[in-house]
Amino acid sequence: MSGLPILDISGLCKSYGAVRAVDGIDLHVNRGEICGLIGPNGSGKSTFFDCVTGLAKPSAGAVKLDGQDITGWSLNDIAREGRMLRSFQKTVVFSALDIEENLVIAGQMFTFPGIWSTFGIGAAARNRVAALRERARELIQIAGLWDVRFQPAGKLSGGQQKLIQFASMLMPEPKLILLDEPMAGINPKLIERVVDSIRLANTSFGVSFLIIEHNIDVVTSLCKRVVVLDQGRKLAEGTPDEIVQNQAVREAYLGG
Amino acid sequence: MTEIVRDQTVTAAEHKVATGPDLRVPFGLGLAALACVAPLFLGNYPLHAIIIALIFLLPAHGLNLLLGYTGLLSLAQAAFFGIGAYASALLAVHFGTPFYVNFLAAGLITGAIALPLGIPALRLRSTSFVMCTLGFVIIGQAIAKNWISLTRGDMGLAAVPRPYFALGPASFTVSGTVGFYYLVLVIAALATLAVYLIVRSPAGRNMIAIRENETLAESVGIPTWHYKLVVFMISAIFAGLGGSLYAHYLTVVSPLTFQMYYSTTMLIIVLGGGAGTISGVIFGSLLFVGLTEALRVAPELRMIAYGFFLLALVFYFPNGFAPLIGRFWSFLERRK
Repeated sequence: MSGLPILDISGLCKSYGAVRAVDGIDLHVNRGEICGLIGPNGSGKSTFFDCVTGLAKPSAGAVKLDGQDITGWSLNDIAREGRMLRSFQKTVVFSALDIEENLVIAGQMFTFPGIWSTFGIGAAARNRVAALRERARELIQIAGLWDVRFQPAGKLSGGQQKLIQFASMLMPEPKLILLDEPMAGINPKLIERVVDSIRLANTSFGVSFLIIEHNIDVVTSLCKRVVVLDQGRKLAEGTPDEIVQNQAVREAYLGG
Repeated sequence: MTEIVRDQTVTAAEHKVATGPDLRVPFGLGLAALACVAPLFLGNYPLHAIIIALIFLLPAHGLNLLLGYTGLLSLAQAAFFGIGAYASALLAVHFGTPFYVNFLAAGLITGAIALPLGIPALRLRSTSFVMCTLGFVIIGQAIAKNWISLTRGDMGLAAVPRPYFALGPASFTVSGTVGFYYLVLVIAALATLAVYLIVRSPAGRNMIAIRENETLAESVGIPTWHYKLVVFMISAIFAGLGGSLYAHYLTVVSPLTFQMYYSTTMLIIVLGGGAGTISGVIFGSLLFVGLTEALRVAPELRMIAYGFFLLALVFYFPNGFAPLIGRFWSFLERRK
């Protein structure tokens, strides 16, 4: 059980007409691991993410989550299980709602047994929401957003929105989180905070991560293993040190 | 400590209305009391205008759940309004069933019809969905015109009885304007309560999430399609109940009940009053439906005046009157 990787992807392909955006990628994420995914723009990282998380249907290949075949499931089918969640490259929050509401929404479908029970107005429903609020407040405190928690999420800075998104994903206690460029467009001080949050979620909550990131310092400090994509194929795989030394990777992506 | 902070700050989720000693409760109670004694000092014509406004409040509440809370623009409300009116009228004319049976049946039938209509329609996105719902109104009117054996076509169904209640041997009929006013008032109040409970439930929060960002809502596990279908059905039920009241009030239904004009009226109530707020929609139906009724005294100028009024609204209150109501509350709070 514990030897089995949490996410096991084999031969994943996605073509748009004649273009093979993702061309036969094998990748796995071990339990408790933080795995990095890097590559130049247009190398197929985001398409790969979309195929794994159900936002796009893969043309071929298999995706196994926790030993279960989830190939071709929709984004919602996968999300509803609460085991694997993802962030989006363009940060999105429920902008008219405050942080606490954002987090409560993110946890609701994992607390209520079905859609009908969410229409409940009795004590049972209220207790469930109260428990969600409790957890939301804990996570808001961990994320360092306590002072702004009643502000509409859309009014906050890009970095703070990233933190909201990250905290939202921890609401259902997932086993695996896929982050699409979590550090893009945020200032260095907040980068540290996001890195700390990822590390904390990994060590304290036992969440595994697969992270697309261009900031190579972040990748080397967080990840034990890095996979490099180029033109829809896997170019290299190894420890951060090996990747930085790899000649092919330097030519295709890192430069110099 | 959190409670203290909560009192000082404003949460967007509570529609930017500050909590704390709430003036809205006494104000609402005052309005309710005023509504109860209104027949004492209002003549029949203003009372009639209010009755029409309260009848339209039902489909407007439904549309508000769909548009204001879930973010789906539907023009189908007039279709469901018409279906409710015809269902109720046909039951009353053919079977002589009491009002509450017709009323509840109208809601159930429209809800049941909304299900097969919603399943394909909600697969469509944005503009296509709007066009599809527009089609429902046109098809509804065509059916009402041409299924003559059932609907008597353009002649419509006349002599729909006034609401009558029968419990065992006792029965009574709501006949006068005042009686109907109280009947509609009670139903409108119950409908408003129902909407309040829906939007305050966890489901209401999920609906807002869908309005704000559907893909994000899906990624946090909300089955958006199922919610949209359920809300579409609920909104249809509200419209059907409104149609039933309409049929029993006017005592006539005709294919004109399926008017695009009614759909736009409901849209104006919701957008003009303030989509995503309950008080805005109540205010909107009283203002916009009451206004058109009031403008009937100058029929040839009526639509022109109404048009100019709507233009002014769009320019000066692009979010409807709800923000204005909100400002009114904060003004009162500051004066205290």
